[in-house]
Amino acid sequence: MSKVNTVAQSLFDKYGGFSTISRIVMSLYDRLLDDDTVGPFFDDVDMPKLVDHQTKFISALLGGPASFSDDHIERAHRHLTVNDAQFDQLKVLVNETLSDFNIEKQDIETVLDAFEQRRGLLVRADDVN
Amino acid sequence: MSIEAINEQLLRAIGVGVALVDLSTMTLGFRNDTFAEWFGPQDNSSKLGELFPAIDMDEIQKSLRTSGRYTTEASFKLRRRTMTVAMEFNRAAQQGGSIAVLVCQNITRIKELESMIDSYSVMVERNTREIKREKDQVEKLLLDMMPRSAYEEYKSFGIVAPRVFEPVSVLALDFVDFDALIAKHEPGVIVSELNDIYSALDRIGEQFGCQRIRTHGDSYISVSGVPDAEPEHAMAVANAAVRFLRYLKQRNDSHPIRWQPRVGLAAGEVVGSVVGVQRYIYDVFGPAVSRALSLRRVAAPMSIRGDAAISEFLDDTFDFQDCPAVDGVKSICVSERSAAPAAG
Repeated sequence: MSKVNTVAQSLFDKYGGFSTISRIVMSLYDRLLDDDTVGPFFDDVDMPKLVDHQTKFISALLGGPASFSDDHIERAHRHLTVNDAQFDQLKVLVNETLSDFNIEKQDIETVLDAFEQRRGLLVRADDVN
Repeated sequence: MSIEAINEQLLRAIGVGVALVDLSTMTLGFRNDTFAEWFGPQDNSSKLGELFPAIDMDEIQKSLRTSGRYTTEASFKLRRRTMTVAMEFNRAAQQGGSIAVLVCQNITRIKELESMIDSYSVMVERNTREIKREKDQVEKLLLDMMPRSAYEEYKSFGIVAPRVFEPVSVLALDFVDFDALIAKHEPGVIVSELNDIYSALDRIGEQFGCQRIRTHGDSYISVSGVPDAEPEHAMAVANAAVRFLRYLKQRNDSHPIRWQPRVGLAAGEVVGSVVGVQRYIYDVFGPAVSRALSLRRVAAPMSIRGDAAISEFLDDTFDFQDCPAVDGVKSICVSERSAAPAAG
């Protein structure tokens, strides 16, 4: 079973561990809530749950102390109807956030590639607009 | 611009939410820009209880009457963000004490960070538990490969210094016609039998202060006196040896495969060390080990052969019988002394 963090195991340490990750999490959290394309997904989500989600998401992407199997990701998003445009926007926001924290371009691409590989887990064929 | 006007402008512009509460009606009067941004524009008829339904109005009034101050927290949604403010009510001395100043500090980020730390802590704690579990497994494996004191030395210094141990006793056991048994039975059956037998020998050996050093096929080597000195080292291996034979004899009575063990015992010095850099294993070698192996080779099935040195350490619970020399070294047959017939 593949894990999200296998490709980027060292990025978490490379960019300063929790000290940097915490800032990235908060920055992405702000962007998501302010964004009208993906923000509505979080309209009715409690703050602790949403922050928990973002912390695990970023930690997993950068190889921190969280990893999720593809099965887990698919199951966690099954109740949502995510389309390609929303997935694309999420990628844009992740890209902007990581760029703000001086993550190297190559590492951002690695993260976005890993992210893109899981598009099919969130965007199902029957949901594509 | 008058001082009052400047003050009012400053009050309106600060990032803290400020409002005045009429305590007789519990309605909100003046509110600054920040307060209005969070809770809506000024409306002199708006009730405090409607804006903050989770807060006990009676409790506020009671507290303000007695101490003149009341603090609490409140959460609300601003667009899709959950905001949290720390609220502080202070009763104003003016207006006969019927007005309270409400100051709201935005502590949203603190709450968000607390949530993030909680989430992160759970992840780290789970990881720590997993790492500890893995560490315990590694430790268990290493303890199977070396004595605890050698493991502790290895953990602290990364090496185990070779040491001479003396006096110690060595027990070497193998099975007569082992190759014939392998040819006759499935490999899985032989491995399963050896697992069963070696586990039993380990348990018996431990009871008498022996420690298994290695097995190699049907060769089973155990010592007493390594790494911790054992004054009764010879008695330990001899007692273990006679029970090994007794156990296997009984086992043969109820199992299809008849194992024919033979045992060599020797006392003297050995060297103990971790051998190997990557595939390391704790091993002992030296004159006593070599003699035990030689004596085992000439021992008859279901019997024990020892060297002269070991007989000096054994008491009268054992019988000795001189046997032909092995490689120029005196050898003796060791057996358990039969119990004296009961009187009468």
